[in-house]
Amino acid sequence: MAPASPVRAQALPVIGYLGSESPDRYASRLSAFREGLAESGYVEGRTVSVEYRWAEGQYNRLPTLAKELADRQVSVIVAPGGAEVALAAKSATATIPIVFEMGGDPVALGVVGSLARPGGNLTGVSSLSVEVSRKRLEFMREVRPSTRKCAVAINRRSPTSGAQLKNLQVAAEALGFELLVLQASIEQEFEAMFIAARDAKAGGLVFSSDPYFTYRSEQLAVLAQRYAVPAMTQSRDFTLAGGLMSYGGDFSQSHRHSGVYAGRILKGEKPSELPVQRVTKVELFINLKAAEKLGLSFPPSLLSSADRVIE
Amino acid sequence: MPDPRGTTRTSLFRKYFRALFAAVVAPLLIAGGSEAWFGYHAQRAQLNERLDVEARMASVKIQDFVEGVHDQLTWMVQLPWSEDTGDRRRVDALRLLRQVPAIESLGLVDADGKERLFVSRIGLNRIDGGADVSATPAVTGARANRLWFGPVTFHDGSEPFVTIAVAGNRAAVGVAVAQVNLKFIWEEISAIRVGQTGEAFVLDQPGRLVAHPDLSLVLRADVIEQRPLAALRSAIRAKPAGEAIAGTDLAGKTVMASMAQITGVDWSVIVKQPLAEAFGPIYTALWRTGLLLIAGAALAAALAYWLAQRMVGPIQVLEEGVARIGAGQFDHRISLKTGDEFERLAGRFNEMASELSVSQDRSERISRLKRFLAPQVAELVDRSPGDSILDGRRVEVVVVFCDLRGFTAFSAQAEPDAIIDVLRQYYDALERVVAAHEATLVNFFGDGVMILINAPVVAPDPALRAVNMARDMQRDVQALLVGWRAIHPRLGFGIGMAMGPATVGRIGSEGRLNYTAIGTVVNLASRLCSSAEDTEILIDRVAANAIGAKAPLVEQEARTLKGFDQPVPVFAFVRMTETATG
Repeated sequence: MAPASPVRAQALPVIGYLGSESPDRYASRLSAFREGLAESGYVEGRTVSVEYRWAEGQYNRLPTLAKELADRQVSVIVAPGGAEVALAAKSATATIPIVFEMGGDPVALGVVGSLARPGGNLTGVSSLSVEVSRKRLEFMREVRPSTRKCAVAINRRSPTSGAQLKNLQVAAEALGFELLVLQASIEQEFEAMFIAARDAKAGGLVFSSDPYFTYRSEQLAVLAQRYAVPAMTQSRDFTLAGGLMSYGGDFSQSHRHSGVYAGRILKGEKPSELPVQRVTKVELFINLKAAEKLGLSFPPSLLSSADRVIE
Repeated sequence: MPDPRGTTRTSLFRKYFRALFAAVVAPLLIAGGSEAWFGYHAQRAQLNERLDVEARMASVKIQDFVEGVHDQLTWMVQLPWSEDTGDRRRVDALRLLRQVPAIESLGLVDADGKERLFVSRIGLNRIDGGADVSATPAVTGARANRLWFGPVTFHDGSEPFVTIAVAGNRAAVGVAVAQVNLKFIWEEISAIRVGQTGEAFVLDQPGRLVAHPDLSLVLRADVIEQRPLAALRSAIRAKPAGEAIAGTDLAGKTVMASMAQITGVDWSVIVKQPLAEAFGPIYTALWRTGLLLIAGAALAAALAYWLAQRMVGPIQVLEEGVARIGAGQFDHRISLKTGDEFERLAGRFNEMASELSVSQDRSERISRLKRFLAPQVAELVDRSPGDSILDGRRVEVVVVFCDLRGFTAFSAQAEPDAIIDVLRQYYDALERVVAAHEATLVNFFGDGVMILINAPVVAPDPALRAVNMARDMQRDVQALLVGWRAIHPRLGFGIGMAMGPATVGRIGSEGRLNYTAIGTVVNLASRLCSSAEDTEILIDRVAANAIGAKAPLVEQEARTLKGFDQPVPVFAFVRMTETATG
């Protein structure tokens, strides 16, 4: 059902890389992607060339950029970094193969027909981050056993925000939290969130899984420290930058896998035949220094079950 | 004219060549062939064994994985459940999740079958959930056998999971139920290499793919697509255990496959190796044997050719030499230095050739001499060394001439056949008599003959001998003449002889030598012969004196003979039935 990749006139096949942010924000993801390409036997510049399109954080530019890549008739479009990127690429072409990388459920989002056989021209990787966002409330409960109020950060723009919010509300009930829903969809709104969380005396601020938040992890860490708010996000970048905790899919795995799939499609495999993969690793990062600064201590269960403890 | 030698040579050569070649090649082929056959079977058995070992090793790796999870789970069922779940259990469960990345979620059930704890990486944890799970297959299975494996399930139709339930040594410790993500086997299975390009995969009991180096195959969870793999398993099961089978894999390539079973989970671990690679050593060995056989056969052919040449060579030399000798080249010597029977045979042929040569020389000489010597005389001459006896010298000889009277007239009238016939009978008669008296018949001329006695061979009492010979000649020829006078009444036979010194020897030109005598005595004898009438034997005085009284002689009137100044005294031999004409 899915068509073969269009072959370009020039010697090297071309991959169209659709990035939602900028090259520096994507740096670690890009290196993981290149690792994956190498696993499939392709080296950028030598056996394959890559065309980049960066939306620089302007997610509404994604459809146009996707269209550009589609018009360039690249062999395959790689659209990592969330559901929005995948959906933008999907709207741009129904023939060029697309490899997505997202935290959500591609079936629920209508990106693929089924995980085993995607059908259509899209396939890719799910990092499970959306599913596990409710577990962050669990972890927060462990760190703040007695708090009643907890804030959650939602990005209205995100296609998965509605589902995530529902999950969080269910989890909050089970855990005995009263949720304070905070919204931010642009950087400028970040600070206001932290101020609101602090002012409301929320026990912590749990971020839903969202690429826009993830790519601004350092910023969020700085703000969390400034306003002394115990926060938990999806990405390890946050914890590495000084944030308190993070729990989410191993993105180096998911981005590497998108590279592997891009390579396999270049070799001739059809995206409709490549099953959507889910990462096998969801990692818990905790930062002891940040906890100290906040005057908190991690319970032994967290200490022993963390994948990385930053001291 | 076709060369019979050539064909004989070829057929003998061919015979030897074929025999030698067959003698070497036959055992070679038998040995090589049987070695190849046995070798093939040995290699095939080795192949079976090799693949069997690979299958076992692969299954051990997968089994290790499963048992590893099992072992870790047993930590969870060591302490008895009390009323209070306590945080300790939760921490232990979380630690287990940390320890075993393959476990996605873990449930702990107490002695009453109530779920006390549920921790998950993805979903929310449940503490003291309290659900009654005692009737679930996992719990009942674990309670019954301490270890229970569920069927492989594909979450969201894609990801393979298996449930493992473990019970402790007593009911109080409860049951641990874990959901295990089987994608974690992928690393193990893809690390398994069978030879260069062989690989392994795992099927669950119904025949669905659980693990494969190509993970997409597993995640596609397409039973129809996986059918060839299940077919491989059925084919392996159909054969006796430990025997590798040939089948096709998903790509349609022919492969050799072997299987090992993992008990407990009841999975089959199958290893497959492309047929070409699996049979590689067998093909190499067969090729090697084949090439060696060909090389051996070529060597055998060369050797047979060389040996046959060596054997046939001397025979050819012998054959040619004997042919030459047979053709008359008695001076040809066969040269064979082989140091064996052939050389001795050649030597005998050479001896024979030289004897033939000598004998030929002798018979040549004898036949030369026989032309004018009586056979016995010829033998005698031959026995003396060289031909010196025929050399020229002056000797006292008796010369006898004889001829037919009236023959000329007869020859003018008679038919040629008749003339020749008469002459033959006449000469035959004369020759017999000459031979009987051991005289030398020197010359034939027409109807006349010249005979010498005492040369070349010495004869005792030559004159007597001569007159006796003349008497016998007359007797025999007169007997012939009786018949011939019927046609020609005027035929007669007369003889004249004389004795005296003459020069004898081989006289004539280079190409035509005749042994004869020259001298007065020759003329005298000739004239006496011409003068003789039919039946007369005229003898000269010298011969008569030499004869003396030994033969009846009567002196006649001296006759005047041509070439002699004085009349010559003539004597005549007296025959019994005859009166002297005197």
